[in-house]
Amino acid sequence: MPEILALTAFLEASVRLGTPLALAALGETVTERSGVINIGLEGSIIAGALGSALGAIATGSPLAGLLAGVVSGTAVAACFALFAVVLRTDQIITGTAVTLGGLGFTGAVYQARFGTTGTALSLPTLDAVSFPGVARIPVVGSAFFSQPITVYLAYLLAPALWYVLFRTPWGLSLRAVGENPDAADAAGVSVVRTRLHATLVGGALAGLAGAHLTLAHTGTFSEGMSAGRGFIAIAVVVLGRWNPLWVLVAGLLFGTASALQFFLQTLGLDLPYQLFLALPYALTLAALAGWVGRARAPAALARSWPPQQ
Amino acid sequence: MTTPPAARLGNITKSFGRFPALSGASLEVRSGEIHGLLGENGAGKSTLLSIFGGRLRPDAGSLEIRGTRTEFGTPGDAAAQGIGMVHQHFALVPAFTVLENLALGYRSSRSRWTLPIPDLRDRAARLQAETGLRVPLEASVERLGVGDRQRVEILKALLIDPSIILLDEPTAVLAPSEVDTLFGLLDRLRAQGRAIVLVAHKLDEILGVVDRVTVLRRGRTVLTAGRDEVDGPALVRAMVGEGPVADPAVPDIPRPRGGRVPPGEVVVSLEGAPTSGLNGPLEIRRGEIVGIAGIEGNGQGSLAMALAGRSRPPGTRVRLPAHLGFIPQDRTRSGLAGSMSLVENLALALHRDPAYRTSRPGLPSLLRWSALRERAGELMERYGVSGPGLDAPVAALSGGNQQRVVVAREMALARDVLVAENPTRGLDVASTTFVHQQIQSLSSTGDRPPGVVLISTDLDEIMALAHRIFTIVRGSLREVPRDARSREEIGGLMLSGVEAV
Repeated sequence: MPEILALTAFLEASVRLGTPLALAALGETVTERSGVINIGLEGSIIAGALGSALGAIATGSPLAGLLAGVVSGTAVAACFALFAVVLRTDQIITGTAVTLGGLGFTGAVYQARFGTTGTALSLPTLDAVSFPGVARIPVVGSAFFSQPITVYLAYLLAPALWYVLFRTPWGLSLRAVGENPDAADAAGVSVVRTRLHATLVGGALAGLAGAHLTLAHTGTFSEGMSAGRGFIAIAVVVLGRWNPLWVLVAGLLFGTASALQFFLQTLGLDLPYQLFLALPYALTLAALAGWVGRARAPAALARSWPPQQ
Repeated sequence: MTTPPAARLGNITKSFGRFPALSGASLEVRSGEIHGLLGENGAGKSTLLSIFGGRLRPDAGSLEIRGTRTEFGTPGDAAAQGIGMVHQHFALVPAFTVLENLALGYRSSRSRWTLPIPDLRDRAARLQAETGLRVPLEASVERLGVGDRQRVEILKALLIDPSIILLDEPTAVLAPSEVDTLFGLLDRLRAQGRAIVLVAHKLDEILGVVDRVTVLRRGRTVLTAGRDEVDGPALVRAMVGEGPVADPAVPDIPRPRGGRVPPGEVVVSLEGAPTSGLNGPLEIRRGEIVGIAGIEGNGQGSLAMALAGRSRPPGTRVRLPAHLGFIPQDRTRSGLAGSMSLVENLALALHRDPAYRTSRPGLPSLLRWSALRERAGELMERYGVSGPGLDAPVAALSGGNQQRVVVAREMALARDVLVAENPTRGLDVASTTFVHQQIQSLSSTGDRPPGVVLISTDLDEIMALAHRIFTIVRGSLREVPRDARSREEIGGLMLSGVEAV
């Protein structure tokens, strides 16, 4: 049954491609709920990718590499937060600078460390872990439940973050900061500290997304390999209506769109393959252009606090 | 030995940039008293209260709580000291439910991993029964009217069982009967031995309820006295300083001519259906001032937008004249471009007028800046705008002067009708009087004077200026019968709207 096998491979690729988007978007959801839009997400992802590669090579352990990726992504987000949250610079401009800086810096480190020989780096990778029962379900089983650990982290983080945002005092304070920082401040919540934490959480998950790219997806690092995923993740947050559960679904949906491009190419249609490459980006535009319906962004998104005099 | 006061703020100074908001303000409030904090706009009342409540940090000054010297802290610290604050601009999260707003910052003994919602629901229900502050706890705040929002604010402040309660202009958004209810509640809170600081801009309103008053003038405490030691005129003198004195509550302006509708053609007519959110009919004639009275949040905004031709609610028919002036409520947001100069802001209205455009055949028409500057200079003089000059950004002007710029520009445009929405909000006595005089002379000068629509939440302003009065309740307009023109009756109509004929 080659069709079924192809379908399983397609779904499996959808999940694998959707996971970094979902992870980064889950982190960005927390960040944006606090009223900070971190366009520098791409910088955290690429830093996470390089950091995880270096960490995995240095220790020989992909799990240690994963941790190094998280630390790298968080460090880049800390840099963004120092300017955008503490020093109150414009969030969009700061985020753009962090993205471009992250791409340039990782490229420079990579070339300094590995030269420009062009030979692909080979990294110890995260193995797929199969869940004994569910992985045997035909078609979908192995697609969803025979995957590297980062995929399961995304599954777990979505409900966990939902609980934190909507059911804990910290989540309530964080959402209040994103909706009306003045009200949060009046209630004794530290706006700057809350936004700082939320931005770091976002950076950590973006770093994890980057680590997934190197250690679970490609097994190598190349310059600029984040390939705009930070920006797509921001669209995923919008499509998921700032709700972690829907953000996970939206992330996997974007993964499907990416997988579709390979799938359609294998069908041998007589169309330029660049058209299929454009598919996820077209979906991004559609998501931003109102497919989302009446979803409402946090009211204080992208506004620095306290406001400049 | 006497008991120490509930709190004492000594010699507070605070500057915003180069602007000194407070320069030696002191306030002492005792347990079991309602303390009135008075002063003109910009005298520093809100700043002082914000410092008291921990929202702002002073540059210098001392704080004692129940006789103990204390450091100024955050709002959380203030709450821990038993200071509850009711903010003028509500500090609520609109997207949250009432309960979620109450939970925000509420220190619970329970775990930090769960919200204390059930616990809060009980406490809030008990508090509601005690105080009579009824609001639906599960409703989201953005769907509540201003009166309800204020009740949430007060509940939130009372939730921490404060020994000191600060209220910043709580009566501004309330109808007369709601004010009575609020004062009744404050009375009971006072009887429980709490200290209450009350800021209000209507002198006569708060004189009936306070035990002592403190007056601020230009950031300085100029008077503290028991209620029985001072009378209204003395307080007004303290507020505005020496010199000509006007009662700030009711500016000194001539009464409208007997309520007679002056002849003149209809310049504006509005018809609306109950479903459209605006329900007329409303007609404005040349030479008359029509007042629209209502409690904030009853559709004044969409009425103003419709009359100014900026938007039209579906189902509403509006006929507007060609030459219309519009003084919006929020001058900084929709009246002026703050970073542009005074000349440029005036040019915004005149830039289509051929008198200010070049016309050379074959060349694009350009603005004649010299003519615009000249005109701007004239208007500045006529409307008494004082500021750093024609080329300084308009944001550098004080609030009163900014409003004069808007008034100058829009009155020049209002050859047929002037629509003014809360035109004196946030202005001091002198500027308020000036705006009132301008409106009156506009509607009574010339052969074909324009009509004026005055939309205001200040009932005194409307009663003093308007020839005809309408109330607006949830978007429905009703004319107040001539024989019902008393504060009490109009206040009642503003609240319910059902008694109207």
